[in-house]
Amino acid sequence: MTRSQLELLVLYQDVDLMLLEAEEEEKKMGFGMEGREKLQKACDELAKNIEPRFLRSYQRLHTRYKRPIAPVQNNVCLGCFAKLPTSYGERGRNDQTIFTCENCGRILYWIE
Amino acid sequence: MNSTELAELFRSDFFLSKLSANTKEKVMEELVQPLVNIGVVKSKRLVLDTLSKRETLGSTGIGKGVAVPHCRTLAVSDVHVVIGISQNGVDYDAVDQKKVNLFFLIVAPPHESSNLYLPVLGKIVELVRDGKMRKAMTCASDFGAFIQIVKGNDQ
Repeated sequence: MTRSQLELLVLYQDVDLMLLEAEEEEKKMGFGMEGREKLQKACDELAKNIEPRFLRSYQRLHTRYKRPIAPVQNNVCLGCFAKLPTSYGERGRNDQTIFTCENCGRILYWIE
Repeated sequence: MNSTELAELFRSDFFLSKLSANTKEKVMEELVQPLVNIGVVKSKRLVLDTLSKRETLGSTGIGKGVAVPHCRTLAVSDVHVVIGISQNGVDYDAVDQKKVNLFFLIVAPPHESSNLYLPVLGKIVELVRDGKMRKAMTCASDFGAFIQIVKGNDQ
């Protein structure tokens, strides 16, 4: 998995959550939501740039978790708070490989 | 959340009193840059892409010279607010089509345990609805003055 594919997945999740939260909460504050369909289309377009196997993996996880991609901080999966194997460290930040949490299965994204 | 609690989230290095950008895209970049400089953003491109997608949903230029670009993104690990003031105003595609002078950029992680994102967003929107407050904030000469104006709202 290239970094850009991981970034696309992260962006996909951010937009996915945005569609949920914005409608629920921001509308009450007076923000316009007239572009919902346009954003949904942009989200669908984004999905076309993600390799199908990664997208399938994301969608499968989405049936279990609201946020299938979990950030990693101090070598801990912030989805389930399990400590990750030390060997993930540098490879997680730099490798082109998809990493998932051994405990919860979420896709991992190093934020540091 | 009260105004003093909000003011405590503001930082002097995230206060830009003289924005130079004159387009929506460029002002977003200028606002995100302090976060990149200080190293709290994993990927600038990801933040800008997410902010841009949020604008697709509806402009965050809420009118009367104010914009509150905001998003949740995995590219940050804490809630951050960047304040920007543009003397000339920026064409931001605001709801009233007027130029924007006062910007509040808010970014937050999706998994935020402090649960500050929506209260911060709500409080900023509430503050800028007050015409006097809005004008005073836009004219603030420095960070200290800006903070005093915000805190003064509680008195």
